[in-house]
Amino acid sequence: MPIQVNTAVKGKEYPPFAVTVERGKIKEFARAIGDLSPFYLDDAVGRASEWGDIIAPPTFPVTFRHEAAGSEALLADLGVDISRVLHGEQEFEHFKPIRPGDTLLVRSRVTDIYEKAGRSGPMAFVVRESTITDGENDIVAVMRHITVVRL
Amino acid sequence: MKYAKVYFDDIEIGHEMPSLAKGPIRQIQLTRYAGASGDFNPIHQDPAFAKAAGMGDVFAHGMLSMGFVAQAVTDWLGVGTIQKLGVRFAGLVRLGDVISCRGRIVGKWPAKEGGQGQNLVDVEVWAENQKGEKVVTGRATAALVSRW
Repeated sequence: MPIQVNTAVKGKEYPPFAVTVERGKIKEFARAIGDLSPFYLDDAVGRASEWGDIIAPPTFPVTFRHEAAGSEALLADLGVDISRVLHGEQEFEHFKPIRPGDTLLVRSRVTDIYEKAGRSGPMAFVVRESTITDGENDIVAVMRHITVVRL
Repeated sequence: MKYAKVYFDDIEIGHEMPSLAKGPIRQIQLTRYAGASGDFNPIHQDPAFAKAAGMGDVFAHGMLSMGFVAQAVTDWLGVGTIQKLGVRFAGLVRLGDVISCRGRIVGKWPAKEGGQGQNLVDVEVWAENQKGEKVVTGRATAALVSRW
């Protein structure tokens, strides 16, 4: 018996949340990937670089989470158990470097929900877009995340 | 890992990205990535949970593989050059898998006359396991400085 997803979630905007980028978190994230570039890990190299400090790896914004605006909230709204979801697609656009101490605002919304037949049965695709801005209201990065629900 | 500055002038359509091998994937790396990223989905940690979910066994976070692909691009073209990276997770990465991240230049866009904009290159990227099965496919856009 296939499950249903609550398609009324399409268009929903989640409350904005603020994050302050931690130096140790950047390094922990780079090391977890096994990317040991000194531009992520070595403070002296960062200081001497064009950015004046270490910067975050391209996929680092995935660490920007909040219980009221993240995957847990989305799955609760969709009425879907975590065991049924897969990560389908992911995209990052970068406009400004992310450095330790940056305080950023994250705003997410569900831009689309559609169903398709997959190899292993019917699936729902839930598209989320998160816009990350800084204190000057410049867009720092945009993340697009497609969650696949096995129906 | 490579640190030499790569210039827009030296990159041409058809150039291949040096292959980056990652793995073999161990459970400890998935646990470490869960902690670093905040994604504690038990499907990446708990074999019983993964089996009950119909996935057979644990598998790697898609975002870990995307991190590998991003590293392959920045090892080649430089940290801080990626303007855009988009991928599809085409297959599951399992414990013991060795992942090769590969790519090739498919577009080259010089900045407009008068110093407007940036020099951009488009890279078709993918990652494959030791059986040659694609687990990630996608595209990156990177901004490169010119020698002149």
